[in-house]
Amino acid sequence: MNGMNHDISIRIDGHSVPARPGESVLDVARRAGAHVPTLCHDPRLEPAAVCRSCLVEIEGQARLQPACSFQASPGLVVRTDSPRVRKHRQVLASLYMADHRLADGLPQRSPAGSSLRGFAKAAGPLIQLHPVHSPRAGRPGDHNPYIGFDPGLCILCARCTRYCDQVHGAGAIALAERGRATTVSTNGGAGLLHSSCELCGGCVDTCPTGAMFDKKPSHHLPGQLRRVRTTCGFCGVGCQLDLNVKGGRVIKVTAPAPGQTINDGNLCVKGRFAYDFIHHQDRLTQPMLRDGDGRLRPSTWPRALERVATGLKRVQERWGSGALGFVSSSRCTSEENYLLQKLARAVFGTNNCHQCAAT
Amino acid sequence: MLGAGAMTNSVTEIRDTDLLFVIGSNTTEAHPVIAMEMKRAVRRGARLIVADPRAIWLTRIADMHMQLAPGTDVWLLNAMARVIITEGLVDSAFIQAHTSRFDAVVQAVAEYTLDRAEQVTGVPAADIRRAARSYATTSKAGIYYTLGVTEHSHGTDNVYALANLVLMTGHLGRRGAGLNPLRGQNNVQGANDAGASPVFFPGYQRVDDPEPRSRFERAWGVDLPAEPGLNLNAMFRALARRDIKGLFVMGEDPAMSEANASAVERALRACEFLVVQDIFPSLTSRHAHVVLPAACFAEKDGVFTNTDRRVQLVRKAVEPPGQARADWEILCDLARAAGYPMPHYSGPAQIYAEMAALAPRFAGISHGRIQREGGLQWPCPSPDHPGTPTLHVGGPINGRAEFKVVHYRPSAELPDGDYPLVLSTGRTLFHYNAGSQTRRDPGTVAKQPESFVQVHPDDAGPMGLTDGQRVRVISRRGAVDARLVLSRQVLPGCTWMPLHFAEASANKLTNDAGDTVTGTAEYKVCAVRIEPTPPT
Repeated sequence: MNGMNHDISIRIDGHSVPARPGESVLDVARRAGAHVPTLCHDPRLEPAAVCRSCLVEIEGQARLQPACSFQASPGLVVRTDSPRVRKHRQVLASLYMADHRLADGLPQRSPAGSSLRGFAKAAGPLIQLHPVHSPRAGRPGDHNPYIGFDPGLCILCARCTRYCDQVHGAGAIALAERGRATTVSTNGGAGLLHSSCELCGGCVDTCPTGAMFDKKPSHHLPGQLRRVRTTCGFCGVGCQLDLNVKGGRVIKVTAPAPGQTINDGNLCVKGRFAYDFIHHQDRLTQPMLRDGDGRLRPSTWPRALERVATGLKRVQERWGSGALGFVSSSRCTSEENYLLQKLARAVFGTNNCHQCAAT
Repeated sequence: MLGAGAMTNSVTEIRDTDLLFVIGSNTTEAHPVIAMEMKRAVRRGARLIVADPRAIWLTRIADMHMQLAPGTDVWLLNAMARVIITEGLVDSAFIQAHTSRFDAVVQAVAEYTLDRAEQVTGVPAADIRRAARSYATTSKAGIYYTLGVTEHSHGTDNVYALANLVLMTGHLGRRGAGLNPLRGQNNVQGANDAGASPVFFPGYQRVDDPEPRSRFERAWGVDLPAEPGLNLNAMFRALARRDIKGLFVMGEDPAMSEANASAVERALRACEFLVVQDIFPSLTSRHAHVVLPAACFAEKDGVFTNTDRRVQLVRKAVEPPGQARADWEILCDLARAAGYPMPHYSGPAQIYAEMAALAPRFAGISHGRIQREGGLQWPCPSPDHPGTPTLHVGGPINGRAEFKVVHYRPSAELPDGDYPLVLSTGRTLFHYNAGSQTRRDPGTVAKQPESFVQVHPDDAGPMGLTDGQRVRVISRRGAVDARLVLSRQVLPGCTWMPLHFAEASANKLTNDAGDTVTGTAEYKVCAVRIEPTPPT
């Protein structure tokens, strides 16, 4: 951030690093380029310090401490990569993998960059532990078409439930049950359509394992997945989003990482999920002209453009430019609006040009 | 009044604001991601004051909800102004340095006493006083409004009354302090910026001002008309009178989205020559003589300008279906077919460059810069200018800002014996405007499959109407069927319908009485009655 006051310094892996009092050790360490893995951390959420993956060694503290919630204070000495920290990560990763279906191979829908997989890989050779089969319940009766939950991939980091509560304020999902049966559920285990869920999909984006997943994409299309950064076409907030394209089709929409764009990694139900219209069979696909018998029939571009030009010219010649009106669109790009008003003014000589939502 | 029809602050400033005054904006449904910023601010300790005729989601976390009767905004706001003035909470230094005609407002609001304000608006006098004090005494106080303020026959008055509050308290030109219209559509701001306006060339330069006009004449190589044109509302009235004979409609469905839609549809049917350029067939395209298939946002390049004046890139990800083409390509070919030498632009970047060269506010913005630096907020007058996150820093951009005297005018159509209820219309979270996109997606449809009308139990009970029943909503202009939802979100005497459902188009009911300045129709207030739907 710009203009930040760094009035103290702490030592991280032997280097002195400027920090603000009260700032988390994690933020300072990452700014200094140290690698501190996290699973339950999301910059939009208050630190929960439940996943234990960010534990670091802090001089004067008998136990390893979570970097995400430990606050910087003058003269703090932190080690993020000591043998003790490395050993902790190896054991922790082994425990997670024993209680996680990732051990049996990655489900296809799980994000390629699954944070848990990355954590396990970086933690070194895992200790083979007996697999745990937690009796964690899913929501088999949930027929909402957007958001799925695979309890076998969940590590109970509670990012999804905290996002739902703290960022969206929907409070639709929460940790439920106890002990080994602890799971993520709605009030009464209802499907999301029958809960206070607004289908924003923030739980899918923040999930570090793929347990919360986007039900929509079809991965069976040919070709490489491409991501195209663009601006959402619904309301005026201007959220940045990534169209995930495969086989010439938009198969998924994802949010850029938090902290990078105006939407801070957030999207709403429309921006994230309501993209089926793009490839919908009802789309207009050819120019159409009204025939002598009053029916619209397919035509060609040259004939259609000729018809439009002569039709507008005829009105202009017969009734004057004031008899023409041009309705522009707040849905189209600025360049297209520029061209439409140029068409109205420079070609047809009228200022009768207004966009559809001039309010 | 301030010199720019746009948010004065940035979306990212909301989280640092100490008081949010949200009026006529159902932010969680219409601008969900901005609402997340508001929720974050409240979580951090900011106060939230909501003024809205309905109990919206935000009222759950608000410090105060002023549930005013629809259309009485001027009463509420002038009464707040009076409190601020009489209690000496004005920022005299700001008023002296940056404004004019304050005295006229002092005089005008003298009659807007709290007691009478309570009678007219229904908001308790003590609440109005408390809101006025809170707003005036919080330095980082931002006003946020949407169509609940503007979609009235006195919408401009409402905005002036809000701006008066901003000017008398000096809550302007600082991070978090300002006046912020949240624009409803992805590129409303950009379309206005680009001159899709009967009054303005690109960059808010008036068509009746000879200086910019001659500049555009030189650039485009033609003489240009000096008379302002018709706004949309006036255009459809002219169409109905047969004064407009030829209409070109790009990316809109006026038969669905204009108020008094049945009259609009009649006018469209009678139109001598109608062209519709769109991505789906619509109620409007049924009457077109020519229909041109266009590309959607995922199929073309360009820019959208969002609600905080941020110009951001739209990038082509997939090909348009069939023979559909980008609107910009179609418009260029059409201009040439009509005999005008439209340049052969290499693409939208070059079109933007042509516009930026003619509009000082955007002169420093280019596709290349946005590609490198991310979105840029205008004004951005030169390539080395960083853009303007907060407007009016150091004083209003057009010099002195003039206070405007506004007086309450009732809505054009009030309830009476035949039509005893007020109807307001709006957007829901799960659908978008004419519904052509969101009603083609399974989840949004599952969440909200059909239209509905919210009615207060106190009104439904005596009429013998029950929750979930099919009812007919009838105004002087039309009738539609919808499912009745008993709701305490609305005040007794008030009803509310979403605008997304073509088969129950709320705009068959709404009143096309337009604001005297903008022409914006009174979507928020008309008179209706409700009856059980007769058996078929």
